[in-house]
Amino acid sequence: MARSVVDPLTRIEGHLRVEVEVNNGVVTDAWVSGGLYRGMEKILLDRRPSDAFYVVQRICGVCPISHGHASTASTEDALGITIPNNARIVRNLIEAAQYIHSHILWFYTLAALDYVDPVKALSADIADTYALAQAAGTGVSDFGAVAKRLQAFVDNGQLSIFTNGWFGHPAYAEDMPAELHLIGVAHYLEALEMQAVAAEIIAIMGGKFPHFMTSLPGGTTFMPTEQKLDDILFRFVKLNEWVTNTMIPDTLAIAPFYAGALGYGGGHGNFLSWGVFNDESFEANNRYMPAGVIKVAQGLTVADADASVLTEDVQRSWYDSATGLHPSAGEADANFSEYNVDDQYSWVKAPRYDGAPMEAGPLSRMLVAYLRGVQPVQDLVNGALEALGAAGRPEVLVSLLGRVAARNLETKVVSDWSLEWVNELIGAVAGGDSKFFEPHDVDEGMGAGLWEAPRGALGHFIDIQGGKIARYQVITPSTWDCSSRDDGGVRGPMEEALVGTPIIEVERPLEAARIARSFDP
Amino acid sequence: MAHEDHGAIYDLLAARGVSRRDFLKYCGSIAALLGLSESFVPQIAAAVNHGAKLKPAVWLNGGACTGCTESIAQVDTPDVATIVLDLLSIDFMETLSMAMGEDALAAAEAVFEEPGYILIYEGSVMQGFDGNALRIGGKTGLEELDHAAPNAAAIVAVGSCAVDGGFVMANPNPADATGVKPYLESKGITTPVVNLPTCPVNPEWLVAIVVDVLLLGSLESGAILDKLDDWGRPKYIFGQTIHDNCPRRGHFENGNFVNEFGTEEEALGYCLYKVGCKGPQTYTNCPIVRWNRRTSWCVESGAPCIGCGNLNWVDVGAPFLNRHRDLPLPSVGNTQPGVVAGVVAGAAALGLGLHAVGMKVTGRMDGGAPYEEMKAHDKKRMQKGGGK
Repeated sequence: MARSVVDPLTRIEGHLRVEVEVNNGVVTDAWVSGGLYRGMEKILLDRRPSDAFYVVQRICGVCPISHGHASTASTEDALGITIPNNARIVRNLIEAAQYIHSHILWFYTLAALDYVDPVKALSADIADTYALAQAAGTGVSDFGAVAKRLQAFVDNGQLSIFTNGWFGHPAYAEDMPAELHLIGVAHYLEALEMQAVAAEIIAIMGGKFPHFMTSLPGGTTFMPTEQKLDDILFRFVKLNEWVTNTMIPDTLAIAPFYAGALGYGGGHGNFLSWGVFNDESFEANNRYMPAGVIKVAQGLTVADADASVLTEDVQRSWYDSATGLHPSAGEADANFSEYNVDDQYSWVKAPRYDGAPMEAGPLSRMLVAYLRGVQPVQDLVNGALEALGAAGRPEVLVSLLGRVAARNLETKVVSDWSLEWVNELIGAVAGGDSKFFEPHDVDEGMGAGLWEAPRGALGHFIDIQGGKIARYQVITPSTWDCSSRDDGGVRGPMEEALVGTPIIEVERPLEAARIARSFDP
Repeated sequence: MAHEDHGAIYDLLAARGVSRRDFLKYCGSIAALLGLSESFVPQIAAAVNHGAKLKPAVWLNGGACTGCTESIAQVDTPDVATIVLDLLSIDFMETLSMAMGEDALAAAEAVFEEPGYILIYEGSVMQGFDGNALRIGGKTGLEELDHAAPNAAAIVAVGSCAVDGGFVMANPNPADATGVKPYLESKGITTPVVNLPTCPVNPEWLVAIVVDVLLLGSLESGAILDKLDDWGRPKYIFGQTIHDNCPRRGHFENGNFVNEFGTEEEALGYCLYKVGCKGPQTYTNCPIVRWNRRTSWCVESGAPCIGCGNLNWVDVGAPFLNRHRDLPLPSVGNTQPGVVAGVVAGAAALGLGLHAVGMKVTGRMDGGAPYEEMKAHDKKRMQKGGGK
C-alpha cells in the first residue's frame, strides 16, 4: 500500500490536490482537496443584483460567461422577467463561443500533454506525418516547421513550461506512432489560435474575454450591426471548420490508443444537467442541451432535474456553518482546521442531489441529451461508439475515455448550433425585431439560475430584498465534481472516479492526473 | 539598415523558430504601445542581445480565477507561445506547466535559487486563516510568495487582485485578501513591483512590460521605476482616463446620453455615463489598445465601464450601473442634479494613492468616503461656463 500525492495538480483552473492510495498498481481510495477560499458569496451581500452579474464572473476566469448568465438568470427568475427573444439568441451565441473556447483550451492546452509526449514527436518522420494526417482526416499543418521548432527548443535546454514534464512516462501509449505525437504538438499550437478566435466573438458581443459586460438582468446591452453580425458569423464558421476537420478527427485518431480508458474512471454513475442554450420556450427540458438527471440505480434512464432536493454537506470541509442546507438557505462560514483526510481536508463543500453525489460536465449533458433524443447528439455519439468498437453501447461512455470524448463531441454539436443561431439572429433583426432589453422595476424575490458552464451544472441562488442581495449561494460544477466526502463518508465524483485507476508508477501517477483533469476542474 | 548589426539576435531567435519578419512585426506593435516611433525598432531588437539564455520566470497563482492567465492566452503581439517558449523561460506556471506536483514545484525552486528572475503574480495574496485560505503543495500561498519574492529582479502583479486584492478584498473581505505590493511592504521585502491592474489584466500591457524589462533592459538601468506612478503602474499605460480617449466622447460633449437600456438612445450608441460608466475616473488606455487582439472593448459592446482598474474596484464602483460623481454635463447645465450619493463605498478614494491599499477596510461605509468632486480641468471648464 502506498500513498501518492499530486499537489498542485497543474493544467487546471485553480488549486487542487489529489491524494490516492495505491494497492497492487490500482487506486483503492482517493481524496481531492480544493486549496482556495475567497468568500464570494459573502462579498455579494447587500449589493445590487446587477452587480452580482459582474462580480460572480470572477469565480472562474475560464467560464465567466456561464457564471454571468446564471447570475442574471437567478435575478430574472426572482423578479419574474422574461428576456426578449433577441437577447436569448445573443446569450446563446456568447455562451456557445465560450463553450468552443473552453473545450478547445481544455483538450489541447490542458489535457493533451497527458496523452501526447512532445519528446516522442521528435522522432517523427515528416512525410509519414503528412500521410497519417491525411489518413486520419485531420488538419494538415506545416509539420516540418513544427518539428524544427520543437527540436530547437529541446536543444536549447530551457524548457519553460515543459520543465520537469514526465517525458517518456510508461503510461503514454507505447504503440502510438511518433507521427501522431507530432500532429498533437502541431495542433496544440494551432489550438492557441483557435481558442483566441472564439474569445474574439465574446469580445464583439460582450466587450472582452474573460469577464464580459453585456448580459445584464433584463436582456443584453449588445445590439448588433450588420458589420458585427458578419464579424461573428465568419469566426463561428472558421471555428466550425476547425472543430470538424481537426479536433474531432484528432480525438478519434488518438482514442484507440487509449481504449483501455473505457474500462475505468467512470465513478458513481450519477449525472446531473440543468440544461443550457434556451429555445423560444425557455423551458429547461427543451433547451438544446436539456436538463435531466441520471441515477445509477435506475441505469441509463433520465428523469427531470429538481432543484428542491439539493443539499450541501460541510462536515468534511473547512466550514463551521450548519451542514445539509439547501442552497437557498445556505451559509458558508469558513474556518480552517488542518488538512486531515480522516476529518476535514478541503475548501470544497459536498453538494448532493437527493442525497447522492452527482457528476457534472459534458458527459452528463451528452448522456442526458442522448437519452432525451436530441438528434445531433445521438448521431454523433453513435458514430463515435462505432469508431471505438462499442456500437450500441452508450454505457461505455461512463469512463475516463467517455468523459474526454463527450467533451470533444459536444464541441462539434455546439459549434454546429452556433451557425444556426447566428442566422436566427440575422433573421430576427432583418425581420424588424429591435428589442434586446426588458426594463424592470420589481425589487423583491427569490430565484434560481440553473444553467451549465462548459465544465458542468451551475446553480446561482439569490434572495433579493428591497433591491439588494440578502442571500447568495453558488454551486459550481467543480463543487459537484471535486466535492469532498459528504457527512455520510461517501466520496465525491472525482474521488470515486479515481478508484480503480491503474497506476504504473506510484511516484508519478499520470493516470490519476488524467482522471482528475478529465473533469476539467 | 541596422538589422545587419544584430545578426546574433536573429540567430538566437531563428534557433528558436522565430523569423526576423515576425520579430520585427511584434517589436513594431510594442514600440507603438510604448509610445516609441518605428525607428526605435532596431534599438529594441538590439536590446534583446543579452546572450543566448532566456530570462527565467515563474508565474504564481494566488487567490486567482485564472482569468489573467486566460487573458494572456489571447495576445498576438507576440502570441502566447512565443512569450512562454521564446521570450521567457516560464519554468513554473500552474495553468500551463506540463509538470505537476512536486516535480512542478521543483522546477520553480530551481529558478528561485538563482537571483534575477522575473516573478509574475496573478490573483490576490490570501492572508485569511493564517494564509490557509490558499494552500499549494501542502503550504500556504503566503509561504510560497515569501519564498519567491526576495530573489526576484522584479515582480509583475498582473490584474487587480494582485495589485490590491481586487474583488476578493471587497467588503467584508472574508479571506483577508490584499495585493502583492502592500503585502511585501508589510513584510519589509523591497523587490520592485510593477502593478498592472484591471480585471483581468489586458495582455498587451504584460507584453509591454516584458519588452521594457527584457529588451530595453529597463530593470537593470532602473528606468522602469521612473516610468511608474504612485501606485506602481506604468504611466504610459495608466496615464489617461478611459473618458479621455473614448470614441463616445463626442456624444458626451453633445449631451447625448443613454438614460436607460432598451431605448433608442442605446441603439444610437450614445454616451453611457448616465447608466454608470466609470470611464471618467478610470485610468487605463482600454479605448486605444482594446481587448482580445484589438477586436473590441467594453464600451464598444454597449456596456458601461465598471472601473475594474481602480483600487478596491468593487467597493468603489458598485452599484456599477449608477453614476457616482459630479461632472459638468453641457445638456443640463453645469452639474447633473441628483447624483446618486450614499452608495459610494470603500476607503480608497481621494487621490487614489497607493497608500489607500494599506488602509484596512473594516466595513462598507454607508455614505462612504467622498470622491474627488471633479477633475481639475472639468472645474476649470465649468468656471468658464457649461463646459463649452
